[in-house]
Amino acid sequence: MFQFILRRTVGAVVTLFLIGATTFFLFVAAPSDYASLACGKDCSPARLEDIRQALGLNLPIAQQFWDFMSGIVTGRDFPQGHCSAPCLGQSFYYNDMVWNLIKDRFPLTLSLTIGALVVFLVLGLGAGMLSAYKRGSLVDKISTGASMVLSSFQIYFLGPIALIVFVYSTGWMEDPKYVPFTEDPVGWLVGLSIPMVVMATIFTAQYTRMARASMIEQLAEEHVRTARAKGMSQKYVFFRYAWRGSLIPIVTVLGIDISALLGGGVVTEITFSLQGIGRLAVDGAVQKDLPLTMGIMLFGAFFILILNILTDIVYAYIDPRVRLS
Amino acid sequence: MKSLNSRRTRAIVVAIAAGSLALTGCSENKGGSSGKDSKEDQSKAAEQSKAVVYADAAASTGPAEEVAGAKSGGTVQVYQESGLTHLDPGQIYVSDAGQVANLLYRGLTNFEEDGKGNVSVVGDLATDSGKSSDGGKTWTYTLKDGVKDQNGNVITSADIRHTIERQYAAFIFDGPTYLQTWLSGPKYRDTLKDGGFGSKHLPATILDTPDAKTVVFHFDTARPDLPQTLAMPGYSVVPEKTDTKEKYDAAPVSTGPYKIAEYKVGKSMKLVKNENWDPKTDSVRHQYVDGFNFDFGVTESTQTSRLIADQGESKNAIQLTGGVEATQIQKVISDAAVNKRTIKGYQPYVMTLTFNLDRVKNKAVRDAITYGINSKSLIAGEGGAYGGDPAANLFAPTLPGYEASYDPYGRLKTPQGNIAKAKELLKDVPAAEKKLVYAYSNSEAGQKRKVAIEDALTKIGIDVVAKEVDSASYYEQIGKVKNPYDMYVTGWGQDWPSPGTVITPIYDGDQVADGSANYSHINDPKVQELIKKALTQEPTAAAVTWREAQHYILEKVNPAAPLWYTKQFQLYGSNIGGARYSTESSYIDITRLFLKS
Repeated sequence: MFQFILRRTVGAVVTLFLIGATTFFLFVAAPSDYASLACGKDCSPARLEDIRQALGLNLPIAQQFWDFMSGIVTGRDFPQGHCSAPCLGQSFYYNDMVWNLIKDRFPLTLSLTIGALVVFLVLGLGAGMLSAYKRGSLVDKISTGASMVLSSFQIYFLGPIALIVFVYSTGWMEDPKYVPFTEDPVGWLVGLSIPMVVMATIFTAQYTRMARASMIEQLAEEHVRTARAKGMSQKYVFFRYAWRGSLIPIVTVLGIDISALLGGGVVTEITFSLQGIGRLAVDGAVQKDLPLTMGIMLFGAFFILILNILTDIVYAYIDPRVRLS
Repeated sequence: MKSLNSRRTRAIVVAIAAGSLALTGCSENKGGSSGKDSKEDQSKAAEQSKAVVYADAAASTGPAEEVAGAKSGGTVQVYQESGLTHLDPGQIYVSDAGQVANLLYRGLTNFEEDGKGNVSVVGDLATDSGKSSDGGKTWTYTLKDGVKDQNGNVITSADIRHTIERQYAAFIFDGPTYLQTWLSGPKYRDTLKDGGFGSKHLPATILDTPDAKTVVFHFDTARPDLPQTLAMPGYSVVPEKTDTKEKYDAAPVSTGPYKIAEYKVGKSMKLVKNENWDPKTDSVRHQYVDGFNFDFGVTESTQTSRLIADQGESKNAIQLTGGVEATQIQKVISDAAVNKRTIKGYQPYVMTLTFNLDRVKNKAVRDAITYGINSKSLIAGEGGAYGGDPAANLFAPTLPGYEASYDPYGRLKTPQGNIAKAKELLKDVPAAEKKLVYAYSNSEAGQKRKVAIEDALTKIGIDVVAKEVDSASYYEQIGKVKNPYDMYVTGWGQDWPSPGTVITPIYDGDQVADGSANYSHINDPKVQELIKKALTQEPTAAAVTWREAQHYILEKVNPAAPLWYTKQFQLYGSNIGGARYSTESSYIDITRLFLKS
């Protein structure tokens, strides 16, 4: 298992390097002049030159690339001050280091992702398993029907409705806001509950259907039939034999979906006026803030790779054949 | 430069001169803005344009007049869509930062309002609005006693000198440039390259500080507008000892009633009371609430929804520079309880369809478009009568010199466009000259404008080739002298209550350059002559010259078709007290707010 993890980690580092290199050359080596974007309205040629020098844009591309990549590990110096490792550059729109901005915004996005994840795993898997367990019953029909309808909804549709119903019309809840978990766990949960649930709704529906289908498939497997033939109880067979096997396809998709959740945060954050990584990415793109956009891309790639490794590990744990391969 | 997209701030309203505003013609201006509220706006324009007064020491002495019913305590919640681009006073030139600056910083002068349209320039750090001599070429300011920064350091004339000199430094690039240019000419940076941070300073013949309390400005020509210029937030004091150059933008030092307790760039900011602010030295600001919590990234749509709902902390909330979202205006005005919590007024901006004179050389074409354009449909996209009124000329109703009845192209009589007149003008124009490239921003507003303009111009026989331009770089793209477009929508408002801050930046031929606000590239000797003349005249005489300049520009050159005057329509929470429209900032007056409970 250790070798398996090591292999995946080394692969991830190489992938990350390649993503960083691709990102860098796409953005910096492309015929764009982000010094002029940073220059402002009273942009004299002298000031433009100062900015180019400060950002190292006058250096050879190879040197710039080295500075960029090594800065991630060792830090860099900018006119605004030292950029500690992991240095992802300086945002000229926000006049701050990219890493500071990401560090400040990421807890919200992570909170949303984790919250939504818990909601859709508990509700989605629970409903799916229950449907499979009571296949053909009224519960199954309601669950299947609801998941069909809900999976076609979108965050930008459900979000405003949830706000109108729970906040603006009834006043049952306050506007969504982020309170750090370490400061006030209850405030954290209450403040983000609406976006978490809205974000999770679509996934809940998908996982209900997926869990149901997967479990039904497992229940039809020969080893499950054998267990039943041996006289084991329905519950025992369900949880001891079918449950584990049904998780394999779900775990595979889960890793991808968590990445999608992080990305889906853009819509959620804008819908609920929350300031997370998604919103930051949009601002970076709108303002043509290339260092910020590059930084967020790399950061996103890093997390997706981490999630992939974790998915592989969980997958290998559930299905030992994976380790051997 | 005070273009609308960047929400240039400060200043507004006020008229100088006598007789400059004959707002008796207001009732004629019904196009697209009929209804009670619109008529009220028209009459308020008269209030908004009352003559500005340069106040004496008595009027500059604090504390500020009490706000009726004001209470102390609590925190005001502030909603804003975008983060602040700057906090360094020297870099502040836009509305949102300007609003915040009034809580944090003090300059030599400031604007004071009485809520009835009377605006005066008072001494802020200075004892009065300034004393001029030598025919207006020399201005002397004396600092008040006991003004300290948030660290308890007394503000001296050395700090004022430093504040002015640092504006010459390369790291200051986004603030106003009026004062530096007046003192040292257009290439002012070359005269003090290190911005006063080294051993070199501006000579006493330009800027003199004979003692710790006296500051003397020497100009080579009369500068009657100086008291208003110094009231711009960009000239707020930066105490010399605390200046950290580039880093100051993220961690500035306060001299106003509030100081920064926490600032997360682009995300949030918390202000708390500045204990070293003495109300006895300030005739403008109050310190009723304990602090302000700014939430950035809250869209105008969300701001409006939250404030209409008026739940929880939204009861204590205001919009900083955002307004009621256009699609929710009806909801606001149809609910009396909600409508009661609004402030309304003209903004200083005039939106125009600006012609690129290097490309659209035939005046008949420009005139035809000016006659034929449909202001009503454009205003509909801005939220109707609450978003704007049809514009008859190039001066906003808030600008000194505004003439409500001056309507050379009949824009008020036919705000939907005089198609017959336009077609007549285009009758003999070759087809090639009737094919025009129209650049529009790819924002939501830009898309709406494109539809309205395309529709109107097609009706009069113009072949419109619409070109989409990225909204973030829209003004940068059309600001290039060699741009490939024939016309574009631009907006402009004054930097302080004088037509000089409108005519000069937009229509001065000397300012035709990349990045300049002279988007039409007008360079007319007669206009140049009038600008030079007006800039050295006292306000009353200057008003006459500015009026002549506007008439000449609009009738003889026609570089821009007037489209609409923009309006402000903001909403605030039910627990907010002291809310009123500031004719000076064109937004809610943030200096006098309190919480009712």
